Amino acid sequence: MSGEEMITLKSSDDVSFTVERSVAERSILIKHLLEDLGTSTEPIPIPNVNEPVLNKVIEWSIHHKNDPPSTDDNDSENNRRRTTDIDEWDQKFMQVDQEMLFEIILAANYLDIKPLLDVGCKTVANMIKGKSPEEIRKTFNIQNDFTPEEEDQIRRENEWAEDR
Amino acid sequence: MRNSLTSLPDEVLQLILQYLDPHGCLALERTARRFTSVANEQAVWRYYCKTLFHYWDRKHDVENKMKQPPSSIDWKAIFVQRHRVDSKTTKVLNNILSSQCGRIQKVQSIMDLGYDVKDTLTRHAHARNDQDDHLARSNTIMDCLNRNMAVSEWAKLREEGETVSLERALGCFDLFVSQGHIESLEEVSNMLNAVAEDLSNRNPDIESLSPRQRASHIASFLRLNNFTGIAPGREYHSLEHNFLGFALKDQEHNSLPLISASIFCYIARHFGLNAHPCGFPFHVLVIIFPSPGLDMDGFSLNGDNVGVPMYMDPFRSGEETCVADLQSQLNLLGASPTEQSTFLGESQTSEIVLRCGRNVMNSVRVILGSEFSKVDIESAGYAGLWSFMLVNPYGRLMEIRRHLPWFMDVFASEFPWDIYLVEKHVLPLFEGLLELRHLMESLHAIRAADETPRSVRRRKDVQKTIEYQVGEIFRHRRYNYTAMIIGWDPECGAGEHWMRRMNVDQLQAGRHQSFYHVHVEDKSVRYVAEENIEVIKPTLSQLPGSLLAIAGKHFKRWDEEER
Repeated sequence: MSGEEMITLKSSDDVSFTVERSVAERSILIKHLLEDLGTSTEPIPIPNVNEPVLNKVIEWSIHHKNDPPSTDDNDSENNRRRTTDIDEWDQKFMQVDQEMLFEIILAANYLDIKPLLDVGCKTVANMIKGKSPEEIRKTFNIQNDFTPEEEDQIRRENEWAEDR
Repeated sequence: MRNSLTSLPDEVLQLILQYLDPHGCLALERTARRFTSVANEQAVWRYYCKTLFHYWDRKHDVENKMKQPPSSIDWKAIFVQRHRVDSKTTKVLNNILSSQCGRIQKVQSIMDLGYDVKDTLTRHAHARNDQDDHLARSNTIMDCLNRNMAVSEWAKLREEGETVSLERALGCFDLFVSQGHIESLEEVSNMLNAVAEDLSNRNPDIESLSPRQRASHIASFLRLNNFTGIAPGREYHSLEHNFLGFALKDQEHNSLPLISASIFCYIARHFGLNAHPCGFPFHVLVIIFPSPGLDMDGFSLNGDNVGVPMYMDPFRSGEETCVADLQSQLNLLGASPTEQSTFLGESQTSEIVLRCGRNVMNSVRVILGSEFSKVDIESAGYAGLWSFMLVNPYGRLMEIRRHLPWFMDVFASEFPWDIYLVEKHVLPLFEGLLELRHLMESLHAIRAADETPRSVRRRKDVQKTIEYQVGEIFRHRRYNYTAMIIGWDPECGAGEHWMRRMNVDQLQAGRHQSFYHVHVEDKSVRYVAEENIEVIKPTLSQLPGSLLAIAGKHFKRWDEEER
């Protein structure tokens, strides 16, 4: 739509982005803000998100601006097991370094963009799936801060799961 | 600060865990302290319980627990319990596959784990056709589990104070027939609720109608949507017309008056009518009582006057049935006034179940040996027999005793894995009666036979040549039926009496030829002389379905190459 209202967003490092309102409204946080403000020409500050990350988030929002609203938003109650299938465009979109991946997840969480948060979480879940604790530590550079006794205790507590 | 997995907030980590599986969750827990609390979050384990398991034993009271705040329930402990049941069931299943000995005990140990095992059985039953456990016992055990549910439900009808709703009690017949057209009794209620909801959506004003109008409205709606009655031209006695679950699920929804009336009663009660089946002879009707102090048109009654009930025949019509017509029919039948009040009164659930059992047996008799049935005839008959055993409202002992030999015959030959059900529910009925000893002996024999290792006879130990092999399919040269060889004898081993009666000596090769135990496509077991066997080599798809099912009892797999 050519006549669509434009919204300006300002990243934490003071870079401005001007986007269609429907793109900005992929973020429920911004959507509610705009509803409260009425029409506003002032740039909206996004204090927690810096320029490269906001750029990525907007790229995602533009691609997905016509998605139907998700029906099961925030509904962890649905009975069906969640799939970790990710569509091809999103997969490519998520091919970033880990730093950026977690930044996107945090931004999606802060801006309340559930579908983007889901894609991020699925991506992380797929990186963990099928790995041993040691492999997971390597993948994410996690320090093992357990004492040997603690480690032993957790292993014993979870022994039931070995019994396949 | 550099962002990493450990810096994500708990709410995000929880979401990640939901996309993982329990194994991934446990692995993450073991990497560092950061994940200890989130990996033990009850909400996460609640999610795993909810999404990984569909069937829950009532002991878990899961429906109620799901409504509580997640943190108030130890969902992880429940998950661990379910996981243990799953791995134990899998082990016993594999064990049943690998050894023929002691199967009754093993099946029982699965049953003892409760309804939870259904998830595991379902998973194994869906194993692909070409896998070793294709013909796996899981289906047979699943049927066993379903019968366990059904029998326990019916047993409750005997107990004082236990109430079983009509739709559950009738749904038990569905649980007996192995095609699995319904999965659980809840499914029956769900289907009925869906019908009620549909009616309510299309007729938003229904609640404002008077009780009498509402009753007609519901009956007309059901008829219009084919939920009651039998389509013209169909065989009235078709077996499937007796099954509530089948009638609801099948697109055509054909059902006998008893089932049609029960469907009507459920929907009518949903809309506040006090409707019950009425035990009219030959044709179950519905009786609807007005609310206290009101008549069926919703008007208040004076003083102590009691409203007059109305009658409906949902099988035939959407209109009210005139009580005078019913009375004149009863007069024609010569019913006494006492009988008349019974026939025109409401029936107990147990009476309706027993009546349904009789209808089933009647259908079985009518169709036996005639056409193809959508419902397994043998299982249906077995359900009927169980209902006779368990659901006898007036303790009609004679009927139970009369059916015992038949019941035992079907049970022992076709459903021996139900032995624990028979021990638990049938044996006590005969306490102090003549039949008890004989019954106990039979049960003992079944258990003993199951626990004796089968010795494998090798052909090389036998001097004579035995032409055909176990597992081969053949056509009978004289009677033309298809059957499968399941055993052999080097010569006729059936005893002098049998051989004389069957004129074995009239055969070309007489009694000293090889004889074979065979399973025929009609499910009977016969004993056939070698000269009557003409081996055929069908492909798996050409094999009659009944033989394929039978094969599951004897063999593990079908080999296309070596068939």
